[in-house]
Amino acid sequence: MSEKKEAVVKKAAKTVKVPQISHRKIRIAALLAVMGPGIIAGLSDDDPAGITTYSQLGAKYGYRLLWVLVLSTFALILFQDLGSRIGVVTRQGLIGLVRQKYGARSGVFSASSLILANIGTMTAEFAGIAAAGQLFGMSKFISVPIAGMLVTFLVLRGSFGRVEKVFFLLSAVFLSYVLAGFLAHPDWGKAFHGMVVPTMPFTKDAVFMATATLGTTLAPWGLAFIQSYAVDKRLTRDDLKLLRVDVWTGSLLTGIIGFFVIVTCAATLNREGVFNITDASQAAIALKPLAGTLAKDLFAVGLVGAALLAASILPLSTAYSVSDLTGRPAALDDGYAEAPLFYGTFAAITVISAILVLLPGAPLITILLWTQVLNAILLLPLLFYMFGIARDRRLMGEYRAGKRMQSIYVLIIALITICIGCMVWFTFH
Amino acid sequence: MKTPAVPAINTVAKRIVGRRDSVLARKNIRESLVSVAGLIGRPVRDNDGRDLGKLVDVVVRHGEETYPAVSGLIVKVGARKSFIDGARISKLTKDEIRLASTKIDLKEYKRRPGESLLDADVIDHQIVDVNGLRVVRSADLYLAPLDKEIRLVGVDVSFVSFLRRVFPGTLRRRPTPDRVVDWATVASLTDSGGQVRTAGPRSALAQLRPADLADLIEDLVGREQGALIEMLDPNLAADVLEEMEDDDLQGLLRGLPAERSAELLALMEPDESAEVLRDLNDEHRESILDAMAPEAAKTLRLLVTFDEALAGGVMTTHTVICRENDTVAHALSLLVKHRERDISDGVVVVDSKGKLLDHIQMIELVSAKPAAALSDLIGPPFPTAVHIDTPLDEVIEEFSNNRGSSIIVIDSANKPVGRIMADDLVDALVARTERRGFAQGSGALT
Repeated sequence: MSEKKEAVVKKAAKTVKVPQISHRKIRIAALLAVMGPGIIAGLSDDDPAGITTYSQLGAKYGYRLLWVLVLSTFALILFQDLGSRIGVVTRQGLIGLVRQKYGARSGVFSASSLILANIGTMTAEFAGIAAAGQLFGMSKFISVPIAGMLVTFLVLRGSFGRVEKVFFLLSAVFLSYVLAGFLAHPDWGKAFHGMVVPTMPFTKDAVFMATATLGTTLAPWGLAFIQSYAVDKRLTRDDLKLLRVDVWTGSLLTGIIGFFVIVTCAATLNREGVFNITDASQAAIALKPLAGTLAKDLFAVGLVGAALLAASILPLSTAYSVSDLTGRPAALDDGYAEAPLFYGTFAAITVISAILVLLPGAPLITILLWTQVLNAILLLPLLFYMFGIARDRRLMGEYRAGKRMQSIYVLIIALITICIGCMVWFTFH
Repeated sequence: MKTPAVPAINTVAKRIVGRRDSVLARKNIRESLVSVAGLIGRPVRDNDGRDLGKLVDVVVRHGEETYPAVSGLIVKVGARKSFIDGARISKLTKDEIRLASTKIDLKEYKRRPGESLLDADVIDHQIVDVNGLRVVRSADLYLAPLDKEIRLVGVDVSFVSFLRRVFPGTLRRRPTPDRVVDWATVASLTDSGGQVRTAGPRSALAQLRPADLADLIEDLVGREQGALIEMLDPNLAADVLEEMEDDDLQGLLRGLPAERSAELLALMEPDESAEVLRDLNDEHRESILDAMAPEAAKTLRLLVTFDEALAGGVMTTHTVICRENDTVAHALSLLVKHRERDISDGVVVVDSKGKLLDHIQMIELVSAKPAAALSDLIGPPFPTAVHIDTPLDEVIEEFSNNRGSSIIVIDSANKPVGRIMADDLVDALVARTERRGFAQGSGALT
């Protein structure tokens, strides 16, 4: 029978025309399908804490320290790229891999510091929402609970695809910073100079600002998030090339947004002598007489979007990490009954942070300060773990980092170590 | 922080412990359990109690036995790690290990096929809990003396036991037997060079439905996915592959050697294999097809070129085709010969030029005389046939109009080239619905 059949089939092949879909069309559709982890994880690093830091950097030092942002963006590209690749190749989240490779203590240490740091950061996001709400005359007792519910509803009720779409929409809000930047009429020549010529006043404050910029751009929760998200999105090794486009785009956008925030503040606040601002909403208010009401509103709108995006990602990132540690991998499309730990963590982080912001007399400034310190301290071991995983042949196989990449990672880690070292040194002197 | 895993596992454990054939049910074994996680770092001493070094890892040998025996220890002596044969252990308790002789030859340990290092390869790695039907991380492993050897008898997957390991001192080493699951009911997927692992889990795995196994595999990590597939009988593995999501299947194939992929794809339904191959990149597809038997590869090479939105892209080529002058007995013998294939509902009859005449149902064949020619059975109702590049929508319409379980696909010369079964159509429709989503996303239909 089969000989007969082969003959028949062969003849059929000649008569059948296979419709050709254009190559380009396939590529764009494929890219859109892979897009997400890089852009979302990257842009959520431009959260209110990040915008505040960038504003302070611009207000205090003008265009001078822009090179720190360039360097941070480079580090962000490298490690987000590494994180997403580890996720796709091993199909495990960062914390799970740390447990597997470095043992129970490292796993528990990383997870518990992440939880603490993430509660702190989430508190900062809610504080950002509260501050931005006040700019539009809304009490924080209204804006924070609404934001909390919005975020919870969005992430917990939607399917993976829908959640991702809303994330993308929120990301578009960041364009307002670009517009505000143009409205401020910055000195592009000076900005370019500041980007490529590194100068550094060796003062406690400048070192703190530089380290804070690095720490807010390359946040531990962002690293943990991109890896888990790539796993949850079920990306495969074939997607790696497109994923790299996504990660580079996302990280570059993160840097570009940061650039515009810095130059906006440099061109207005710094030039007019407004050097000290404590948060991003203050920067928005200070912008009004200098760059107009529109610039102030754009700044405030950007702040709300940034806070909402980061406030959606943070509890999600924490929930991924906790599920990962316990060895019960969870996904956005799992039901409540399937993944109570996942959803429980999500809810706990959101509720605790909202309470911290709303509680009268809660030491908010202290919490935010310690969160920054904790994030900086946590960043180093996480980068070391990622470096270790990247060179692990058994885990990464053919995707193991080569000698040249390894030395670049070492260089970046060394640089960050120096920054954090300087910060610690200045703290005690 | 509390994990929901604990109560679930406890019930599994109790169920297992309650079973008569479980070694954990034996009191002496339950009382002599030694935690591997707690043992790491403990002193290794000679018979007189002198310290020789500290334990780094425990090596077990996987074979046909359900409970793998400890084949050796890796001990840190001074600055070096050396291997000590398991036969020289005289006493193993939760606090120390005693050796029968003092002599230690400082031999570097080299991984051998069929062996795994319990701390480096198994603890904190993913394992398959066959009873609970899920992938978990092992928190601890337990050794006990059994059949004159020290064997790996249990695994602990509870989060509480995991947290216990974070603490220093004796708390870390205390076994928690009520949470231990029998080693026979889990499948460890350690990298032991593609060797056959324990016999127990293999048979336990074979009891699972292909769809459940597919879910398990989708939860696993690359290398371990491959390991689980290697543990299965090829026919079962092929069924499992058919149940997997496209993206996951592609990922899995990328991790398997081309020969193994070729073997499994050849066992799958040709239309399903073709669908998978279509999504692979050219190089990978060719490497798999090259490793396949020429005939199977030829069919698949052709099927791959068909568009998924047309009849040719969803059809299966598993069809028994007979000439009109063949006998009923011949047709029946062909059906019997290919019985493992999903084609048992009848034969397609063609004329001397190979053109489609009729599809004859099994019941007609069975009720006819064996010596009768198939041409005698030809008559209405005639089967529905569609051309090979009929769009899927029209195929669906034809299907709903004629209400059969399959439809015949013909080429321009009116020759049958394959069939579309109802389930192929369901698969195609499901794939379409999924593709309509924005992201290729985490699969589940919402």
